Amino acid sequence: MAARRTRRMIGSDVSRTTAARAAAIAEQLRYECSILLELYKKRESFSADFSVADGRLVSVPPPSSQLDTRDKLWRLHSALLQCRSLLERAINKEEAELGDGRKADYETQRKKVKDRLSLLLINTGELLKAVDGTAVPTPSLDGLEIDGPTVLFELKLWVYRIYKEVDYWTKTAITTLQALPSVLAKERVMAPRLRSTRSARR
Amino acid sequence: MMITWIILVSLVCKSTQHGNGQENGVLQCGPQNLTLTSSDQMIMLTWTEDDPSCSAVHDVLVYELVVLKPDSSIPLTGEVSVMPDQIGSSHSWNWISPFALECFSHSVRIRSRYNKQTSPWKQEHTHPGMENLKRPGVYPKDRFFEVGSNFTFCCILPAGEIFNNTPGSSKLRRISNQTYAFTVHMTQASNYTCNNVYCPSTEHGACAYIGYPPQDKDLQCETRDLQSVECHWTFGGDSPVSHKSPTVYHLLGRECREGGGGLEIRGDEGRCKMEVEMDSGEINWTLTAENKLGKVELLDRADLIKRVHMIAPNTMTASTVNARNVTLEWEWTVPHYSNLKIKCHVNISHGETHTIREYFGVGLNFTVLNDLIPYWKYNVTVRCGTTHHLWKWSEWSTTVNFHTRVPDALDVWRQAVGDKIIIIWKMPLANQSHGNIKDYRVTWEKTRSQGKEQQHTTVYNNDSLALSLDMTEEYIVTVTTRNEYGSSSPSTITIPSRNPVSDGTERANTSWIVRSSGSFNLSWSPSPAASCGYIVDWCPTVGHCKVEWLKVSPNQTNARIFSKNFTDGVRYLISVYACTQEAPVLLDRSEDYVRETRIKDGLFQSLKWKQKDSDVEVYWDPINQREQSAFIRGYVLYWWENDSSEKFSTNASTVNPEDTSLTARKLPINNYKFIVMAKTAVGECGTTNITVTLNPLNNLVKPVLIPLLTVFGLLSLITILCYQHWTCIKQKVYPPVPEPVLTWPTSPGENRCRPLHVDQYPYNEPEFLDVSELHYNLGQVVNGNVSEDYKPFASTQTPGGYINQPLKKSTSPPLTLLTIDAPSSPFRSVFSNPSYNLLMETGDQQSSPGPRLQEGTPLGRSFSEYQPQSNTQTFNLFQTTEEPRSPMSCDSTYIVLPKST
Repeated sequence: MAARRTRRMIGSDVSRTTAARAAAIAEQLRYECSILLELYKKRESFSADFSVADGRLVSVPPPSSQLDTRDKLWRLHSALLQCRSLLERAINKEEAELGDGRKADYETQRKKVKDRLSLLLINTGELLKAVDGTAVPTPSLDGLEIDGPTVLFELKLWVYRIYKEVDYWTKTAITTLQALPSVLAKERVMAPRLRSTRSARR
Repeated sequence: MMITWIILVSLVCKSTQHGNGQENGVLQCGPQNLTLTSSDQMIMLTWTEDDPSCSAVHDVLVYELVVLKPDSSIPLTGEVSVMPDQIGSSHSWNWISPFALECFSHSVRIRSRYNKQTSPWKQEHTHPGMENLKRPGVYPKDRFFEVGSNFTFCCILPAGEIFNNTPGSSKLRRISNQTYAFTVHMTQASNYTCNNVYCPSTEHGACAYIGYPPQDKDLQCETRDLQSVECHWTFGGDSPVSHKSPTVYHLLGRECREGGGGLEIRGDEGRCKMEVEMDSGEINWTLTAENKLGKVELLDRADLIKRVHMIAPNTMTASTVNARNVTLEWEWTVPHYSNLKIKCHVNISHGETHTIREYFGVGLNFTVLNDLIPYWKYNVTVRCGTTHHLWKWSEWSTTVNFHTRVPDALDVWRQAVGDKIIIIWKMPLANQSHGNIKDYRVTWEKTRSQGKEQQHTTVYNNDSLALSLDMTEEYIVTVTTRNEYGSSSPSTITIPSRNPVSDGTERANTSWIVRSSGSFNLSWSPSPAASCGYIVDWCPTVGHCKVEWLKVSPNQTNARIFSKNFTDGVRYLISVYACTQEAPVLLDRSEDYVRETRIKDGLFQSLKWKQKDSDVEVYWDPINQREQSAFIRGYVLYWWENDSSEKFSTNASTVNPEDTSLTARKLPINNYKFIVMAKTAVGECGTTNITVTLNPLNNLVKPVLIPLLTVFGLLSLITILCYQHWTCIKQKVYPPVPEPVLTWPTSPGENRCRPLHVDQYPYNEPEFLDVSELHYNLGQVVNGNVSEDYKPFASTQTPGGYINQPLKKSTSPPLTLLTIDAPSSPFRSVFSNPSYNLLMETGDQQSSPGPRLQEGTPLGRSFSEYQPQSNTQTFNLFQTTEEPRSPMSCDSTYIVLPKST
C-alpha cells in the first residue's frame, strides 16, 4: 500500500497535466456531441421539445462522496468505455437499418464524436494509470443492452438515447476532470499525515 | 313391440340419410380443417369439407363468414358459394382490415348453409392484438405507404393511461380501453429514413416509409448482338424507399438481375438484357417493375430482326495512310455482324470541316477514304447500322487521327541471287516520302511460325537487303519506312520455299515483246491467278544484275517498260509474274534487246581449221549468245585464194546459232583466207579471219604410208621366223639329195623336219608343215596365160601390185588345189619331173584373166575382208593329207605368190 502511495505521489504532476488535457478533450466532445444531437433530431424529424424517458444505458456504480479519485476515474473511464461500445453499435445498426448510403453532415459528425470519444478514453486511461500506477482494468460490458431494438422507431429512440448518454458522460467527465487537480493537491497534503499516523499505530 | 321399435329406428335412420346431411335442422356438411393466416392487414381463411354427408349436396353450398372486431359493433360478413363439383376441394376467403391487425384481436366465424339448414359456427382467432399482449405503442410499425394515401394507425396506451385531450390534427377515436385510432395523411415522402408517426401526446410512435410505386415507362426493346434482347425504359426515379424496398424488374417473367449486364440503371434510363432465341416475327416484350408500394407493367411489341442497334466499330485503325488516301479498318465485337448488310457513316473532320461519307457492305469492316488532302491532319470516326430496317445508328466509334504526311507504302520486290534473297524496294520519291526518310525496317518470318519467330532489321540509305533464308521454308517479308511523322503502311511479299526464279519449266510462252524506241512494249495473256495484278521485272542477262520491276493492275495485260539503265546491245531477261495473295507466280520469261548493235569483230576468238582431203573445216568454240550485242541467227563462212583479187567468191553458212563449224569443200591446193561472220538482224558482223594453206601431200599420206608400214612389218616378222627356224628350212629346202633328181623319202616322216607350229594363224588345231621349195618350168605350158619368159613363180612381190578383190572364204574339202585359171581353155599339166607330178587342173571354165585362189578348207580365220588400195602379199601355207585317189600324192606345202599383172 505504501508503494502504491509512493507511485501515486510520483505521478501527481503527470496526472494534473493529463487531467487538464482530458478535460479539454471532454469539452470538445461535449460540443461535438451537442451538434450531433441537433443533426440527429433534424434528420429524424424530432421536434425541438422531443425527449426520451430518463434512464441510463450505461451501468456503473452510483456516485458517492466516499469514492476516492482513483475510483471516480475508474467509474468515469468505465462509463465512457461503455458509451463508445454503444456508439459503435448504434452506428452499425443505424447504417444497416436506417441508412441510405449517403455521407452527409450527420454521418461526418457521428464519426467525429466517436473518434473524439476514443481520444478521451485514451487520456482517461493514461490518467487512471498515472493515478493508480497499475494497468487499467478493462471494465466489463456484461449487462449492456448492446443489440438494440429491431423496430425502427424504437431504434431511432435508442440511438438518440445513446447520444444523450454520451452527452451526459461527457459532461460528467468535464466535471470530474476539472476537479481532479485540486483533489490531487489535497490528497498530496493529506498523504504525510496519513503516513505518520499509520507509523504511530505500528 | 321390439320389432316395432326396430322398424321405427330404421325409418328414422332412413329419413336422416335422405335428408342431405340435415339432421334435426343442423347441416352436417360443414367447414373442416380451418386455417387462418394474416399478412399486414389481410386475413385469409382456408377450409375444406370432407364430411361424407357433403357428397349428398347437389346444389350450391353457401358458407357464411363473420369477422368480429372491437371497433365495430356490427360484425362484417361475407359469403362463399361452392358449386357441387367444387365440394371436397379447398376454399378460401380473405378480408382486408382498415387497421393493422396488431391494433386489436380479430376473429373469424364460419358456417355452411344449405336449403335453409346451417351447420354450427366454427370460430378461428387471428392476431390477438397488442393491447392484449400488453405492448403499448403505435401500430403498424415500419410499414410502406404511398405518398398521398391515408392510413389509420392505432395507438395502444399502457394500462391505466388515457388521453386527456385530442391534440394535433390527428383525430383520435377510442376503439377499446387502451386503444385509440388516428388517421395520418401521407403527404411527404420519406427523406433519409422513415417518417415518424407519433401517438399524440406520448413518446410512442412508429416508423413509416412513404414513397412511390415504380413509375417506369416507355419500354423499347432491341438487339445489339443478334442473340440477346435489350430493353430500355425511362426510369421512374429513385423512390425514397428504394433502399429499403428496391424495385424488382422482370422481363418476360424472368428476373433482370443486377450485375453481369443484366440490369442497369443509368440516370433516368433503365436497361435489362437477356439471352433470347432470335425468332423472326413480332413479339410482345413485357417488363414488370415492382416494389412494396406497387407494380407497373410495360409493353413493347417488336420484331428484333428489325430492331438491330449495332455496337460501335471497335479498334479503329488507319492501316494504310498515303498522301491522298487512307485505309480505315475496324473490328466487330459481335461475330454475327460479319453476315449482316451494313452501312456506315464515316465522319471526316479536318479543321472546322466535317464531311460524312456513306459506305455499304456485308460485314463491312474497312473502307478506303480517297480524295484526301496531302500533308493534312484528319480526325475520323465511324458509325454503322443495318442497311435494311435501319433502327438506330450505332454510337460513333473512337476517333482516329492521322496525318497524310507519312510515307507512301514502299514498292517492294525480290530477287534470288544464289542462295540468297535480295529484298529490293524503290526509294520513295519526294512526292512519296512526305518528309525526310529516316530508315527502312525489314521484318521477316516463316509463314508457319505465325508471328512467333519474327526477325527484323533496320536499313539506312539503302534500297535492298540480302537475306539468307531457309529455302525449305516459306517466308513473309514486310518492309516499312519512316519519316519524321510516322511509319508507312507495310508492304509485304511472300518468298516461297522454292526459288521461283529457277522454276520456269511449266510456264507457257504467252508474252510478246515489241521494241519501241529504247523501251519494250510487253503484252501477255491474262492469268486468273493474278488477283492483285502483274509484276514485270527485267535484268541484264550477263554482268551485274540489279533487277528493276514494274507493277501492273489486274485488268491490264500489257506494259511499256522503260528504264534509264537500258543500254543498246545488252540482252535483258524479262519476266512476267502474277501477283497473288501468296508468292508471285512466274508466268513467262523472255530475252530481248532494247536495240541490237553490231557484234564487234573478233567474235570467234578460238577460230581453227582442219583439212580433210580437199575440204577445209573451220571451227570455233561455242559462242555465249547472251554476251552478244545482238541475236545471232547463224554463221557464214567466206574464203578466197590469197593471191586472188576476187573477194568472197564462195561461202558456206548455217542458220543454227549453236553450230560451231563450217566446211569449205573441194578446194584446190592453194593458200586461202577464210572469214567467219555471225548473221544478225543488224547484218553480218563479228568478223574473224584465218589464213589456210592446203598441203598437197596430205592426200597421199594415208594410202601410201599405211600399206608400206604394213608390208614392212610383215616382212620383218617372216624374217624373224625364218631366222629362228633356219636349220629346218634349210634341211627342207636344200635336202642332201643329188641334183637334179628329186626323190621322195621312203617314209613320209623320216625326212621331215620337226613340225612348225605357226602361231600367227589361229588354227583350231596345231598343224605340221612341210616346207619345200617348188621349182617348175612353165616353158611346156601351152597356155598363153603362163608367162613366156619363164620367170620363176617365186616370192617376189610385184612392185606396186596388189589384190584388189576380197579373198574368198574357204569352205571345202581339206584338199586344196592350186588352180591357175586358164581363160582360154582348161588344161592339165604335169611337171616334167615324173616323181614330182603336180596335177594342174583347170578350173570350172572360169574366164578370169588372172590367177585366182579358189576356196579352200577353212583352216581358221578366213580372209574375207576387202582391203582397198592395199598391196597385199599373201602367203598361204597349206598342209595336205595324202589321198589314195588323189591325182598327185604329195604332202607338200605350197607357197603361192600372186602373179604379177
